[in-house]
Amino acid sequence: MRAVGLRTHAWNTAWRSALLIAGFPLLLAVTALGLGLIIGPEQRDLGRAFAEALGNLPLLYALCWGVALVWFAIAWVAHNRILDWASGAHPVTRSEEPRLWNLTENLCISRGMRMPRLAVIETPALNAFAAGLSRQTGSVTVTRGLMEALDDRELAAVLAHELSHIRNGDARLGLIAAVFVGVISLGFEMMARGTRAARASGGWRRSGGGGSRQGNAAALIGVLIIAAAWLLSMVLRMALSRNREFLADAGAVEMTADPDAMISALRKVEGRADMPEVPSQLRALFLEDASDSALSSLMATHPPIPARIEALVRFAGGRDPGPIALAPAAEETPASAQAEPGADETVRITPSPAGAPWWRGPARPEAPGGRSPWAPRG
Amino acid sequence: MEWVILGIVLVLIVWLVVIYNRLVTLRQVTGQAWSDVDVQLKQRHDLIPNLVETVKGYAAHERQTLDAVIQARNAAVAAQAQGPAAAGPAEGALGAALGRLFALSEAYPDLKANQNFLSLQAELADIENKIAAARRFYNSSVAEYNAMTESIPAVFFARALGFQQRGFFEIPEAERGAVQAAPQVRFS
Repeated sequence: MRAVGLRTHAWNTAWRSALLIAGFPLLLAVTALGLGLIIGPEQRDLGRAFAEALGNLPLLYALCWGVALVWFAIAWVAHNRILDWASGAHPVTRSEEPRLWNLTENLCISRGMRMPRLAVIETPALNAFAAGLSRQTGSVTVTRGLMEALDDRELAAVLAHELSHIRNGDARLGLIAAVFVGVISLGFEMMARGTRAARASGGWRRSGGGGSRQGNAAALIGVLIIAAAWLLSMVLRMALSRNREFLADAGAVEMTADPDAMISALRKVEGRADMPEVPSQLRALFLEDASDSALSSLMATHPPIPARIEALVRFAGGRDPGPIALAPAAEETPASAQAEPGADETVRITPSPAGAPWWRGPARPEAPGGRSPWAPRG
Repeated sequence: MEWVILGIVLVLIVWLVVIYNRLVTLRQVTGQAWSDVDVQLKQRHDLIPNLVETVKGYAAHERQTLDAVIQARNAAVAAQAQGPAAAGPAEGALGAALGRLFALSEAYPDLKANQNFLSLQAELADIENKIAAARRFYNSSVAEYNAMTESIPAVFFARALGFQQRGFFEIPEAERGAVQAAPQVRFS
């Protein structure tokens, strides 16, 4: 079905994700077939080798699934600890980061979600990520640079993006994909090691005297099959990750009803999201993975920012202000000026909360002009 | 053969259920989008009495302009309850009246220097930006919902099941952004 708006865009994306997920069991079956070809006793006659491998397939397939499930169970238990350790984030409370906390809480209340655990990474880079294998154990982590460079609307849009990841169960989906890729690459590694060992011991399942070259034909095809499955599974995993980013962007705009804020947040993050200290395995979870630009688009975990903005403009009625140059002191520039370069008549005012009878919220001189509908109103 | 027919009927039913559920979701989204616009409009309306009081302190004899703003504001509050189609022109009229008020303030240097006035003006400009964004989001979700109700197969049963088309929220172009065009003020 053709996308005519944000919701249909999200439905199409979700449908594509389902197809991609269905590809993993298929690739696992292909891997099992490859394994069957390698370990099969019959190596010379290709037709018979394939028949034997197909006969062994159910058993090998079940074995692969067993490995995948055990792996998944281990990853499920250790996941949160690994994330905490790898990202270097520290959890924050309401009194430490009232602005972050209030924006998140208002978004959660508006959609009836449970409040996630909030954490901050002390780095000037602009990024954020969501984790949590179930909706109850969600956690949202943002960088210090993000909190400083974005105004309330934009920060709310980014938080809504991360909350959408939690709502869509993307961390779990990513884990499932990672486990499948892990099992397939384990098969790849095992077979690489196995052939090396066989070569070292000078003869592995060689049935005849002089059939060494011909005898490896079936095994060679098995190796090729597994290598192809491994590559394809990586591509699938990245395509899935990219798909979920589009979905989370759509969800964020649905939560805040503010496509412009999401776009200008993406524009600010653009080119400033690089966090080299974070392990590459973790980067797929982030708001933006800056290392993608170096890789081919097939292996990127995130769609390019212009593509994400184009989707928001087409389907959510957003307006793209073009690339945004961040001033050294971003907080002093009013949000309206950053969002709309055309409006050059800026009103630069420091509101005095004490003097305004209609403003009963807490005095926050560090965030002028950024009063959002989600900010507390007394 | 019977099984094939049964299968086709089953697929058809599932398809119709999916379409119906999607219509419900889209209607829900437009409702939520409108309530987001609604909140912003209400905030805008709540600011105006304060603004008028502040201006009165400096330019009490500009009764006509002030009354026009109050009238436009009351009309906008009344229209807001009637839905997007009615709220659009009323909001446009309010924007125009506000524009005249801010143009008038040019003649009163004391008023222009008033902190309270300035922060009200800044807050109004901020709210206008948010209304503009929320309005575009609402309109795009209405367009999506309306397109869905007009497409096959929904067009055959949407109206009968109560999926009425929704009106867009359009503010007349000429009157939009009266506040954004406010004069340049710099404090630094």
